[in-house]
Amino acid sequence: MTNEYPTSGFWDLTGKKAMVIGADNPAGGAIARAYAEAGADVALCALTPDEAVMRARAVRRDIEKMGRRAPEYIMDVTLGKNVQVTTRQIVKELGGLDIVAVAPDLFLAKPIAKTTDTDLNRLMQVNFNAHFFAVRAASEEFRRAGQPGRIVCVTSVIGERGLPNATAYAAAHGAVYNFVRAAALELGPEDIMVNGIALGWMDWMDDRIQPEDEEAQRAVRFTVMRRRGTPEEVGPLAVYLSSEVATRYITGQIFPVDGGLLQHL
Amino acid sequence: MLERFNLQGRSIVVTGGGRGLGRGMALALAAAGAKVMVAARTEAQLLGVVDEIREAGGTATHFVYDATSEADADALVAAAVGEYGRLDVMFANAGGGGGNVPNEFWDYPTDAFEDVLATNLKSAFYACRAASKQMIEQGDGGVVVPTASGTAMRGNRTFAYPTAKGGVVSLAKSMATMLGPHGIRANCIVPGYVSQRPPADDRERAEREQRGHFIPVDRLGEWWELGPLAVFLASDASSYITGQTFIIDGGGLAGGLGPAGFRPVYEG
Repeated sequence: MTNEYPTSGFWDLTGKKAMVIGADNPAGGAIARAYAEAGADVALCALTPDEAVMRARAVRRDIEKMGRRAPEYIMDVTLGKNVQVTTRQIVKELGGLDIVAVAPDLFLAKPIAKTTDTDLNRLMQVNFNAHFFAVRAASEEFRRAGQPGRIVCVTSVIGERGLPNATAYAAAHGAVYNFVRAAALELGPEDIMVNGIALGWMDWMDDRIQPEDEEAQRAVRFTVMRRRGTPEEVGPLAVYLSSEVATRYITGQIFPVDGGLLQHL
Repeated sequence: MLERFNLQGRSIVVTGGGRGLGRGMALALAAAGAKVMVAARTEAQLLGVVDEIREAGGTATHFVYDATSEADADALVAAAVGEYGRLDVMFANAGGGGGNVPNEFWDYPTDAFEDVLATNLKSAFYACRAASKQMIEQGDGGVVVPTASGTAMRGNRTFAYPTAKGGVVSLAKSMATMLGPHGIRANCIVPGYVSQRPPADDRERAEREQRGHFIPVDRLGEWWELGPLAVFLASDASSYITGQTFIIDGGGLAGGLGPAGFRPVYEG
């Protein structure tokens, strides 16, 4: 009976093929490195063809040192067709696809009155549409291969609670929250698990926790753990939710990595 | 990154560790390197788990304990400290019962209600209180993880059990707030429908398959699937996570707007 169930090897992704969208930002980069350390080859998708590519290249160097493959791509996540075609290319390049992490992030601090149509469209496209396009393209690949799939959508606790001057961002991430639930229900019968990681105040988020803003520092002390989170604290949960062995009965859930921030209500 | 999942040398107690989900947790925790103490009422079951862990090369011992007794909870923590020198993680997993409801709600007897609260809510309080006191004395943090239930989020006819488990969810959140400044994290495990053991025969296997159709992933969970979750929550892999409820239910609570399999018709 001892061999009927695993008690270890939960975090082993050896031989798995992964794709990380937004590998140019700290969360995506940490997830990509974590996947590689767990044994996977990882396609790195940068969102724009500027310094983002250089940041993704730094991730690539780390991963190649581990002896895994880490081809880079530029993916325009605002275009469903581009996401689909790039995903197809990645499947061919890696020789399959088992895991997808979607971690785009575009923050904008503006009151409602000042938020333009262009602002709103851009925030919805990058923060939400990207998740939809990625899941649509990836689930098609999983289905084509007749393989299980694991999808991790990286979102924000701002999608769960309101925040002034962040309404467009909050709405886009609120959409991600419920997209994860609905997609999980639709894809569950095909052994495709869809879960989320919701980030709190992380140490790279100077765009919303400005170092010189005293109120922002109070917001950090407001978290139960009284500090900001680090990229290294995101990787392990992504590996967990991407493991075919560890995550077989968890789907449609969004797990905060927020130091207890959501405790305050 | 992978070293964050390592529990080498950590002293961990699992109450309700003689069978089912607690056994699944204990086996995985020990395999990740933890020194485990399993606690429950039935010694024979505890001994079975201890043997299984030792046979696999792990470290384990047991403690016979009544989850409804605060004195037993204190003694359990003292025993773990006596055995392993300290306590790093408490899984307050003991619970159950309350499924047999002979009365209508308006006739439900007080003592039955109190029994269910004692087994499922007070037990978690006693175990986590005793554990946190020890962790505060040690002065270098720790982790407490009570087990609640998916029924806590939706309620059912055996109302006392979901009511108690709802209290467990709140207990975990309050502990996160109270113990956070001391470096002690508190998270709650919320299992949906999970089988306690492998099926005894083909009839049971078929029965479970039938019940699995009511779950979005089209099957029931299995007891050992709590193992990786326990390792994740006990370890530094979850170092920035506290006050959370970890729902492991095959997608049940993500939906619920209709019977399993219901979807608006697509005519394509």
